[in-house]
Amino acid sequence: MIRLIVSLTLLLAVLVAASLAFGDVSLTWRELFDALAGTGEPDPQSAMIVFDLRLPRVLLALLVGVALATAGTITLAIMRNPLAEPGVLGINSGAAAAAMAVIVLVQDPPVGLLQAAGFLGAATMALAVYALAWRSGTSSLRIILIGIGLSALATAFTTLLSAFGDIGDVQRAMIWLAGSVYDASMVKVRLLALWLIVPVALALVFARELDLIRFGDLSARSLGQPVDLVRGLMIVLVTVLSGAAVAACGLIGFVGLIAPHMARRLVGGAHARLLPVAALIGACLVVAADLAGRIILPPVQLPAGIVTGLLGAPFFAYLLWIRRHDHR
Amino acid sequence: MTGRRTGRLAMTNGARMATLLVLFCLLVVAAMSATAIGTVTMPFSRIAAAIFQFDGSRDHLLIMTIRLPRVIAAVLAGGALAVAGAIMQAVTNNPLASPDLVGINAGAAFAVVTVMTLFGEGVGDIYVWFSFVGAAIAALVVYALGSLGSVGHSPLGLVLAGVIVGTFLTSLTTAMLIFDQSTLDAVRLWTAGSVTGRTMAQARTVVPFIVVGLVAALLLGRHLTTLSLGADASRSLGQNPVVWRGASVAIVILLAGGAVALAGPIGFVGLVVPHIVRMCIGVDYRWVIPFAALGGALLVVIADMVGRLVFGSQSFPVGVTIALVGAPFFLHLARTRLKGET
Amino acid sequence: MTTDKTTRFGKIEGKGVHIAYGKRRIVENLDLAIPERRFTALIGPNGSGKSTILRTFAALMKPSGGNLLLDGRDLTKLSTREVARKVGVLLQGPVAPEGLTVADLVRQGRYPHQQLFGRWSAHDQEACEEALMLTGTTDLSDRALDSLSGGQRQRAWIAMTLAQQGEALLLDEPTTYLDLEHQIELMKLIKMLVAKHGKTAVAVLHDINQAARFAEHIVILKDGRITAAGEPETVISAETIFTVFNVKTMVIRDPVAGTPLCVPL
Repeated sequence: MIRLIVSLTLLLAVLVAASLAFGDVSLTWRELFDALAGTGEPDPQSAMIVFDLRLPRVLLALLVGVALATAGTITLAIMRNPLAEPGVLGINSGAAAAAMAVIVLVQDPPVGLLQAAGFLGAATMALAVYALAWRSGTSSLRIILIGIGLSALATAFTTLLSAFGDIGDVQRAMIWLAGSVYDASMVKVRLLALWLIVPVALALVFARELDLIRFGDLSARSLGQPVDLVRGLMIVLVTVLSGAAVAACGLIGFVGLIAPHMARRLVGGAHARLLPVAALIGACLVVAADLAGRIILPPVQLPAGIVTGLLGAPFFAYLLWIRRHDHR
Repeated sequence: MTGRRTGRLAMTNGARMATLLVLFCLLVVAAMSATAIGTVTMPFSRIAAAIFQFDGSRDHLLIMTIRLPRVIAAVLAGGALAVAGAIMQAVTNNPLASPDLVGINAGAAFAVVTVMTLFGEGVGDIYVWFSFVGAAIAALVVYALGSLGSVGHSPLGLVLAGVIVGTFLTSLTTAMLIFDQSTLDAVRLWTAGSVTGRTMAQARTVVPFIVVGLVAALLLGRHLTTLSLGADASRSLGQNPVVWRGASVAIVILLAGGAVALAGPIGFVGLVVPHIVRMCIGVDYRWVIPFAALGGALLVVIADMVGRLVFGSQSFPVGVTIALVGAPFFLHLARTRLKGET
Repeated sequence: MTTDKTTRFGKIEGKGVHIAYGKRRIVENLDLAIPERRFTALIGPNGSGKSTILRTFAALMKPSGGNLLLDGRDLTKLSTREVARKVGVLLQGPVAPEGLTVADLVRQGRYPHQQLFGRWSAHDQEACEEALMLTGTTDLSDRALDSLSGGQRQRAWIAMTLAQQGEALLLDEPTTYLDLEHQIELMKLIKMLVAKHGKTAVAVLHDINQAARFAEHIVILKDGRITAAGEPETVISAETIFTVFNVKTMVIRDPVAGTPLCVPL
């Protein structure tokens, strides 16, 4: 376990360093070290590239990865369904509908408005799903089904806007929805970090509750867990986490689904171990995706959300392939 | 521990048969009305005349080249997608499963977008073939990947493989669309799901696949119920779950591949109609399949008609109206029929 | 249940069987013959390989080596359908799709007997009705499985295996989760099926005394090996119980049935 955490952390560190070094202007490792440590003769240009352009972007990607993976792990536990990811709660479709509406209906929307709309759309949908699914208690299946129904409505709205909106607007909305960290700033990074501390810490504190709720409502309740309360609280956490991720950089899919599955294969089902490992994997995935998106087809920058799909999917398939003879 | 769902177990086979007949009549009436209603409303007699004694008049041409193909496309796509969805949910034993899970929509969209990016819009009817082939290849890859080794003994393998392939193809498609505005403009109506401007030729291309798929699904309903008991139980009853999962995926390819080729990726029908059917008549797939076929067709025909009437636009994407018509109904059922916890 | 006219009675025999999960070996070189038309109980501590052996003998798992014979034919070469016609299996904690009725479930037992597009025959119907009757679930047949109590649900699953009309019945911990009344009812049902209908029954049991009281043949397993096998009177002894379960007991005679009875010291 400790070896795993250390190696994942090392991998993340390497990815972060590589992200700081590579790009339109590539730095040597020496230059990068000098810029970071302020040793040698500090080259003002490389310092500017590292600190002002690349560092915020890398940190943002890292934080978003942590948020998405944590939210995904929680969702997987409370829904007890291998297909469940935060999108099940309508978060993605709500954010997409709100963002599409802002981009298509408002002339030249400021970035702040777009982010606020994304978060509000996500939160409203999650709230609506939970409220509609409440009938003197909740059940995972009912939440899933209500989520499907409401998502379909929101998606219909998005589709309608995209089918009849101005083509330029639609294209811009698609880029935003594809999930990109390109307009990162240190302010944004600090805000997101502050925002994430509480829900991530709470998720860790509640690791045992998550272990319990996975067994099913009845077993959990018989062991003294107030199931509906815990599920409600967890849904709030998921909304806060993935809503913030959406607001920060649009929809980055796949991470919330795949990071928990990979973590589960590595460390099993106990959430005290699962959560940190999944968070590290999520951070690695998004940082790597952003790096790859910048260097695959320069000067074109592929949105990180697309790269997570393009690279993450084959990688996960490879994992399935090499572990095909293992049981469980 | 009393009955978890109400109002369903009392349904006898006779009642089911009668309900099925009523649904069929409803579908016929809806299809006729959809053909009759439009900017010019036609009496049913003229529709019958156009079908059986075509005289080349303006009205007959309108019926045979514009309205009827559209209605036929709606019936075929709706029925096929709903049945494909029911099969997927039985095979994976997962309420979130839909035909899209085996990569059908992602494969079809990828193929259509690639062809349009490379050759422009003037591909004509051939895009139906590309769409079908793209869907089929994607589904085969998903099935092959999902049957690997020990994971292949559980539906989880199929589910994960579907997500992997689907995500990969969707990412590629999005990447192409982001950088190519004209293709985005050309396919955005198609991706919304639409039966506007379908031709008899297109419908004829797809009909064999869908009919074969439907017949196979109807004959195999019994095996699906056994399959839905889970891999161990199904094997202990002498069913080879791997073979039957393969057969089910083949049927899903025929049905959903054909439907998507005709009407674009309408996801909601395949996901939701089977749920509605099971909430109403139970989980015996010998009955679920025919009910899903009729229910799906009815939903899409009515949704398309509503789209034309209420929004007054011929090109209003049916994918949107399906959600507007179907989602509230589905939400209501999910709230009232599903009690207790799982 | 119409007794079979052939001379085959679901005889299952393993010679030098190896079973492994991936690289982890569970059972090595096991020789185990299940006596036909008798009630055999497999007992042993947790992890002794009882359930694994049962699943392998039911052809749900492939042995990694050795010979497995069903009525003299290689079990691994038979199609799953052929096996299912002869062997019915009740697994631990089976889960049915939500909303499935008891009648729906029992019908599934006819699966191995039906042709690909075969029709539901009068014989199929008869088999189902008999299975429902034998397990006392006729009145429940329209109820959804998930609305039943644990005991009723267990009986419905047994009805499904009975509808298979196989000569052999393999049951994995059938009495777990059942109350005392239903436990005894179930054991009597198995005994009756063996005595009156000539079935071969194998059950993994946790309760040694239950096994001793109802089974005619007991196989005691530890670490994938047979420690003792034979009639309850000869197999159940204080020494055997101590070597296998690491519990000191005194074996006395059951004052009611006259079978051996273990009393922990």
